[in-house]
Amino acid sequence: MSELKRTQLYETHLAAGATMVDFGGWDMPVQYPSGIVAEHLYTRHFCSLFDVSHMGRLLIEGPERLEFLQHVLSSNVGGLDLYKAQYCIIPDEDGSAIDDAYLYRFEEDRLLLVVNAANTEKDLKHLLPIAEHYAVTVTDITADWASIAVQGPKSKELMTILSGGEAVTEPMKNALNSLMLEGHFARVAKTGYTGEPLGYEVYVKSEDAAWLWNRLCELGARPAGLGARDTLRLEAGMPLYGHEMGLDPDGRPMPIYAVPLAKFAVSFSERKGDYIGRKALEKQYEAFKRIQNRDFSDCTVLPKTIRPITLLERGVMRAGMPVYRNGEQIGWVTSGTMVPYYKAEGEGLETVITDTVEKRAIGSCYIASDVLEDDIVTVDIRGKKVKAVIPARHLDNMAPPFARPILYGVELSKREDTGDALPAKALNLLKKAEDNHLWRQRRCVNLIPSENTPSRAVQMLSASDPSCRYAEHKKVKSFYDKDIFYYQGTGFIDEVEQMAVAELRKYFGCTEVETRVTSGQMANTCTFSALMDWKNRLDRKHTPRRLGYVLNNHIIKGGHLSAQPMGALHDYIAIDPVTERSAVVNFPVCKDNIFKIDVEETKKVLDQYRPELIIFGKSMVIHKEPVAEIRKYVDEQKIPTTIMYDMAHVLGIAGDYFQNPFEEGAEIVTGSTHKTFFGPQRGVVAVNYKEDELKYGLWETIETRAFPGSVSNHHLGTQLGLLMAAYEMNAFKDAYQSAVIRNAKSFARSLKAAGLKVCGDPANDYTETHQVLVSVGYGEGAEIANRLERNNIIVNYQATPDEEGFTASGALRMGVSEMTRFGFGEKEFDALAQLIAACVLRNENVSEDVSRLRAGYTTMRYCFDDKDFEDALEAFAGKIGF
Amino acid sequence: MNYPSELQYSRDHEWLRMEDGVAVIGISDFAQSELGDVVFVNLPEVCDEATAGEPFGDVESVKAVSDLVCPVTGTVCEVNEELLDAPEKLNEDPYGTWIIKVENVTDTEELLSAEQYEAECTH
Repeated sequence: MSELKRTQLYETHLAAGATMVDFGGWDMPVQYPSGIVAEHLYTRHFCSLFDVSHMGRLLIEGPERLEFLQHVLSSNVGGLDLYKAQYCIIPDEDGSAIDDAYLYRFEEDRLLLVVNAANTEKDLKHLLPIAEHYAVTVTDITADWASIAVQGPKSKELMTILSGGEAVTEPMKNALNSLMLEGHFARVAKTGYTGEPLGYEVYVKSEDAAWLWNRLCELGARPAGLGARDTLRLEAGMPLYGHEMGLDPDGRPMPIYAVPLAKFAVSFSERKGDYIGRKALEKQYEAFKRIQNRDFSDCTVLPKTIRPITLLERGVMRAGMPVYRNGEQIGWVTSGTMVPYYKAEGEGLETVITDTVEKRAIGSCYIASDVLEDDIVTVDIRGKKVKAVIPARHLDNMAPPFARPILYGVELSKREDTGDALPAKALNLLKKAEDNHLWRQRRCVNLIPSENTPSRAVQMLSASDPSCRYAEHKKVKSFYDKDIFYYQGTGFIDEVEQMAVAELRKYFGCTEVETRVTSGQMANTCTFSALMDWKNRLDRKHTPRRLGYVLNNHIIKGGHLSAQPMGALHDYIAIDPVTERSAVVNFPVCKDNIFKIDVEETKKVLDQYRPELIIFGKSMVIHKEPVAEIRKYVDEQKIPTTIMYDMAHVLGIAGDYFQNPFEEGAEIVTGSTHKTFFGPQRGVVAVNYKEDELKYGLWETIETRAFPGSVSNHHLGTQLGLLMAAYEMNAFKDAYQSAVIRNAKSFARSLKAAGLKVCGDPANDYTETHQVLVSVGYGEGAEIANRLERNNIIVNYQATPDEEGFTASGALRMGVSEMTRFGFGEKEFDALAQLIAACVLRNENVSEDVSRLRAGYTTMRYCFDDKDFEDALEAFAGKIGF
Repeated sequence: MNYPSELQYSRDHEWLRMEDGVAVIGISDFAQSELGDVVFVNLPEVCDEATAGEPFGDVESVKAVSDLVCPVTGTVCEVNEELLDAPEKLNEDPYGTWIIKVENVTDTEELLSAEQYEAECTH
């Protein structure tokens, strides 16, 4: 046998007392003295280091690198953006895996393919002869760079210490970055093989390997060996070549689509041409789709698939053990062991991970494709038949910062029926509703920025007779576009709607307003539907083309959910055939202020993508949107586009104290009427097209997509309330809007002075809107928000632009609009800031102080309160029986 | 590594101690260290016949499974059921943690003294 190869960290492993083994020809640490169980748990709970320098690193360069990789890999390499990585498989002609790999694009014109250590030679033997047909070079650079996987919930914190506070990578999975770590050049990928939602694979020059390893150990990370790497990846359900890929225990090649990850790793993009294995993979894909639809009539090309498996009785599964169903062998275990986990207590966001260690026998298996989730099978463990089940998954990492074990059979507690008689239940409901109302309206300080309390007049009007009625109406050309109603008794609501439109036109300074949409999300859906219909208006004989490209704010950067493909854009956004992803591109943000759009970088995006729709607007918003700058640029560059501003959060501050969207060049404004605006919960679409303009046709389409496109019953009660809210807004807008902005800035300064970390730019007092963002520490947002609620302060926890998602939220989002309406001024917000600081920073109980502060401010301001109006309101209430 | 002198050892890394004619059997410190984290122990049942040189059960570590080889022939009269829930005791205290007890011992493998066993292990 030839001598084992050693990584740059070989001596480091020996010094740490590692047990070394032969792994694919490399002398590698299988475990350190603490043992695999401790290493596994430390990864899940803190941060572990794995030496992955043995993995083959192939640099692909040359003018035909893309064509070459499209031909030899399963994935769509054309869709791989700069600073992104993708999982891929190297297929053979028969659709089996030669290897699986990760492709990294750290540089514009070079790609890094990382393959399994034991397969490197085999891969090169396969790839090099093919590379000869392309203007491309494939260089094995394994020895030049060391690679260390830094994995676990604390990895981000530790790496950020080394980066000197600079963002290590974008928070999204597969993001890449090149940066200096304490003076050492590093390439960092947000990837890993542990299932951890937070984890990096770091490439450094060979001479820096020991430094990085030791430095991270100093900071609290611990080394982990191949043993823990295997149990972690197994728990995460990730395939290992030689187990879940390659040959099955009978020596037959396993089809690539047997592995669940194939769904992501295989592309049939036309741009990939006739790549190696394509035909076989297409057949597998057809079979895969049948199987997913539970049609098991023809599983010949995909007779078995890789599934998770959990033992229901005592024992441990190992690779190669047969799996039976009803006495018939249906496959084998491909990987199996006993995996430790920390027991969790509680439910949902209140889940607490305890110190108690438990273990479970789990594995992966390659079994008949017609086995369904929850099916019971048996595993032959050295002659003993042990009961097992096919679970959905062993682990879930969608709630960062922790990867969470999913134990089979856990059921959430359900609210039991009290068994009371219905009259008792009805009484109880009233009592509870009263308690809730008095708590939220009298004792709590509500700082949710997307909420407001409407005035008594708005509330009463919203509950009056129209709330029980229908009033479908539509403009009819035969009658010169007169609105025609379908039902009788609608004269009053017709008048109300026309007045509401007139009042809102005045508010926005625009030509047309649609008020029938009943929510902000519906306002967006209606608008996107109209934009798509308008796009296809000259061709009704083909399936309509969807929208694309669309430029919007990324949800992690504060983008509004309603303007995302997962929200209202869902059914209207095209898939880009090049990337095979939604045809959405995001506004770049400033490096020194991640809450603000970078206008110069946006211009480059506009040049490259020429988006047909630009959507401004955010739900985490502390700055004005650069509408005028972008309008000017797209006009200069003659980019045909529609500029829309989703003002959901800032609708009530539209105007001179914030920004005038239409004056700045927006064509369409959508929004909800109940966040900063005074209304009941509804939506609105406003446009500034004139009747003689071509795009007035788009406006008419918006109207038809409102009715009959979105609503039949457009909630006439709140329509009435909305008119009163519009009166209030137009009457008190100056005083209200200036107070909101002044209060927000003042509140932010007070919070800062009280010792809290306020996000944003101190030069403009941290905010230009009604919102104030406070950072409370990574992943702490939900807990602090809960604590504040117990103290009668209602805020929402918020992930900032450098955090992974809501469970990793490290910030609080607060808005001053509702309390401003209840009369809070700078003095009251300062007092509130002190209470928040006491609660957040010193964990003091301030619930009584908060209620006392609130008690003085229960009268609604910025609404009609003269004697005549008050008298009329009382009379109205009396007569209609409120 | 610890090799208590009051115990006898088999070449398969079990230790044995006779208590009133009953053979008390466990695994050595060397064995547990080589195995790594023990996560499961497969035990025989009381009254099972055990044969010298033959497996009577197995221990599973995270990495692999290893047979437990009986150094004596006889009848299993007691098994340490605590190990079913706490197999890690074999790592924590290998000599304080017996696995089975065997009575009616009729045959015994050639056993090693502590010094001989230590020499084997460090060979």
